[in-house]
Amino acid sequence: MQENIKYNISSENSSKINQWLSKFPDDQKKPAIIYALHLIQKENKYIKSEHVDAVANFLGLKKIDVYEVASFYSMFETEHVGKHTISVCTNVSCMLNGSDEILQYIENKLKIKVGESSEKYFLKDERECLAACCGAPMMQVDHKYYENLTKEKIDLILEGLENEK
Amino acid sequence: MKNKLSINELCYSTLSSDKPNSFDTYVSQGGYETWKKIIKEMPDRKEIINAVIESGLRGRGGAGFSTGRKWSFINQDSDAIKYLVCNADESEPGTCKDRDILRYNPHALLEGMLIASYAIGAETAYCYLRGEFIDDVYKSVKDALKDAYENKLIGKNILKTNVSIDIHDLIGAGAYIVGEETAMLESIEGKKGFPRYKPPFPAVKGLFGSPTIINNVETLASIPKIISKGPGWFSSFGTKDSAGFKCFSVSGHVNNPGNFEIPLGTPFKTLLELAGGVKDGKKLKAVIPGGSSVPVVPGDIMLNTDMDYESIVNAGSLLGSGAVIIMDEDTNMVEVIHRIARFYYSESCGQCTPCREGTGWMFKVIDKILKGNGTLDDLKTLESIPSMISGSTICALGDAAAMPVESFIKHYRSEFLQYIKNQKVDPIDTNNFAKISDKEFVLNRK
Repeated sequence: MQENIKYNISSENSSKINQWLSKFPDDQKKPAIIYALHLIQKENKYIKSEHVDAVANFLGLKKIDVYEVASFYSMFETEHVGKHTISVCTNVSCMLNGSDEILQYIENKLKIKVGESSEKYFLKDERECLAACCGAPMMQVDHKYYENLTKEKIDLILEGLENEK
Repeated sequence: MKNKLSINELCYSTLSSDKPNSFDTYVSQGGYETWKKIIKEMPDRKEIINAVIESGLRGRGGAGFSTGRKWSFINQDSDAIKYLVCNADESEPGTCKDRDILRYNPHALLEGMLIASYAIGAETAYCYLRGEFIDDVYKSVKDALKDAYENKLIGKNILKTNVSIDIHDLIGAGAYIVGEETAMLESIEGKKGFPRYKPPFPAVKGLFGSPTIINNVETLASIPKIISKGPGWFSSFGTKDSAGFKCFSVSGHVNNPGNFEIPLGTPFKTLLELAGGVKDGKKLKAVIPGGSSVPVVPGDIMLNTDMDYESIVNAGSLLGSGAVIIMDEDTNMVEVIHRIARFYYSESCGQCTPCREGTGWMFKVIDKILKGNGTLDDLKTLESIPSMISGSTICALGDAAAMPVESFIKHYRSEFLQYIKNQKVDPIDTNNFAKISDKEFVLNRK
């Protein structure tokens, strides 16, 4: 742990966090932790200890208050991940509609196993149902929903990501 | 009038429009008229609560408790700050009905939240969406809130009266357990989603220590029309104890999966037909009628069951969230319960030992059996675990993990036994060995 590296929450994010705090009673600071971590993860791809420390400092909380939130919720990554997060739902409804083959197809195509990252992709080990069961099999790419997946559809989606600037 | 098949009349009423989620569409259907009337006439709160009790509306998140009675638990004489929380943490496997309300009819939810806030005396309401909605329906909710604020239907001194109600959008970060109402309160307070001991119930001591009511999206979105058309209109649909409409998410092996809002008490057969029947003309094997937390029901029982709370209980299961998962004749039931057990093992928050350890045990034993390494003793161990979890935990996740395992073994024991015999299941032949007892099985093995 490199304690001396300090992370500064940008002024834009600072004002967003302050705005978020206005939703709650004045003495409540913890309710902004989840939101602040979302903002920071969006900029940095994953949460480092210096980010946690910065949020704790900004909100005037103990570091542990922020650490336990960062480690409890599955959307927060605490290790380096690839640029795009792909979450293939493999819960019951999707499984009944072939999600395991879909996941395997993506694994082969990206040459990473579920739970792993390459420079460009993170194939998240998604265990939760993503609430799009009537569009099974489905996945999220950077939290956008793609439903009724086929191999052809996946080819197109990944092609789109490959060709982005 | 009873059980007339009316589809998508309540929470999905805007679906027939080109722009279902727009403010104008909702208003053109009479939206916000109920709220404006309440603001104008300022009826006694008890009147609204009584109307909701009379309508027979039951919580649509899964528990099925009377919504009006839940509201009545708030002490109206107390000056304490009160809160309303909308539970939009839709995450029960198989359930995707609320997502369609959030993206296609968010204003019905907001109007329902306003009426509910008024009825319980809350000036602040929160709509907590699951984190995974952050770049999806979250936008639709934020846009709807903006429109409602701009039209002065929410905020300080609504329509120049002394009624002030703010609704705030909140976003989670991935945790099934947060759908449990007290875990949601912990999460809103910025903590881990650990369910709280009850009592005290949230209506007495909830968010930030104040009296709080937590309702599901569908429940709240049902409120405006119940008030405008009257409780009698709502209860004219459905059955005596299961009044009104319910949104069902039909998924799995069906030709036309989708969300269907129909009167409670509609025959399961009709719902299956709406969803286009079993995929590829196959036979129905089994149904999970209320999300993965409820017991599985064999297909032939379901085909003679109606979709209401009492009938599903009689069929040996629960209506839950209304997530109907269809499984055809070729479904491998050990694989299905393996997947369900994996889910609860992953999502147990770890606070209570029976659930934290029990979900892991169940998954590991099923995994061993599925991999062909299981013994008869393993099956017996597996059968003994659910009763050690059920009723021994702070929240219902433990029961939710235990019930499916119990029911899968009860109805499809033969498939477990086939794995233990180290043979791959041929589902076509399941009837031939459906009655094999453990004793016979041992004999066969020799």
